[in-house]
Amino acid sequence: MASGFHAALKIAKKDILSQVRKKFEIFSMLLFALIAGLAFSFALPSALVEDLGGEAAIGAALIWVIVFFTGMFGFAPIFLAESESGTLRGLSVAPIPAWSVYIGKVIYGFVLMSLVEIFIIPVIQVLFGFTMFGEEPLLVVATLIIGTLDLAAVGSMASALTMPSESKATIFPLVYFPTATSGLILLIEITRVMATGTVVVIAAGLTVSLLFVALLAHLVAMITLSAGVFSYALSP
Amino acid sequence: MEIVGIFCVIYLWTTWIFAPPEKELEELIRIFFQHVAPALVSYAAFGVTLVCSVIYLWKGNLKYDVISAASIKIGLAFTTITLLSGMMWANATWGTPWNWDPRETTTLILWIAYACLLVYRSSVDDREMQAQFGSIFGVIAFPAVILSYFSIQIWDTLHPQVITGSGLQMGMEHGITLMFSMIAIGLLYILLLDLTYLVDSAEEKLMKYRMTRS
Repeated sequence: MASGFHAALKIAKKDILSQVRKKFEIFSMLLFALIAGLAFSFALPSALVEDLGGEAAIGAALIWVIVFFTGMFGFAPIFLAESESGTLRGLSVAPIPAWSVYIGKVIYGFVLMSLVEIFIIPVIQVLFGFTMFGEEPLLVVATLIIGTLDLAAVGSMASALTMPSESKATIFPLVYFPTATSGLILLIEITRVMATGTVVVIAAGLTVSLLFVALLAHLVAMITLSAGVFSYALSP
Repeated sequence: MEIVGIFCVIYLWTTWIFAPPEKELEELIRIFFQHVAPALVSYAAFGVTLVCSVIYLWKGNLKYDVISAASIKIGLAFTTITLLSGMMWANATWGTPWNWDPRETTTLILWIAYACLLVYRSSVDDREMQAQFGSIFGVIAFPAVILSYFSIQIWDTLHPQVITGSGLQMGMEHGITLMFSMIAIGLLYILLLDLTYLVDSAEEKLMKYRMTRS
């Protein structure tokens, strides 16, 4: 178990290092996030948002949608790059459990996406004029961490599933979107509630904690299911 | 097949003639049975996909992959019926066909997820790879079913909780009708699964035969 996690950290470190050396990929992700923010500003002019009375409510949702779409750039090459350069075979015959390869890739995806978030969240907040860290900043940060992990878990698996497909570019979103949207809908709900400040009870019986538990359950289900079947994705 | 036919006739009779009009919904209650039974059966169909996918990954027998693919197709058909009948009902009672109610949204996500799974399967050429990776996808797509099922408990929604811990919240006749519609649709699912499995495995054999000939 411990050696598996050690190997996972090694794989994540290797990927982060190679990403830092390449530089252009992370920059293109940041620029894409900005462009997506711009596109949303056309769809939701600030006057309209003010009329609706919810910069915070809309902005919080926007951030997740932007992160979700930027994930396409970040997560798609996670395994495709390995399979194209032929290093996937090396990973599959390495004397480490298959799940540690998956966990390593999830950690890498999480770090990559966190970098994008650190850049994009302040920018979107300034552009749309709201703050999502309202009254419970720690809870918002916790949601950001869990949500990013969830997206990374789904994204890495989607990237692994794309490998045998004929048309990789079109298939990746088809695998990533439906599996990630179930987490995304929970994330947006939680962040919106926190950003607008009505933290405790939204409606009878519906509390943030219940949504949070659902999100955690989704994350745990995704990671355990994916890690459980991952050895089959490496074996051929 | 005869039994399925008999149950389908009973199902038609109970939903359209036997069940009395409801107090508030009046005749609209009849849509209810065409809505709930396919919904629950489609959840079960995707459950069959999950189980068959796991068994395929474990045993490597292509038979289970054919069953799981067939179950996706039928589950998708039933989910489509659920969505459409739900839209009709919503149009009659809530005023619009689509409200972005959490259960509607999560069921649409469910439909899209399994439709994507079918497209994904057809995009992989190699048969073994298709079975292996399709099965992996079949496993990780299942949280969408769970989310759709529990969505009415997580969110505040327009969907009433008919089936609660203390039993069915409806009249006796409607309970019996719902039971018959569940049995009929469930049997219909099994029949369709059996037929699809026969056709698909015949196709599989044909493909293998062609491969050996060429």
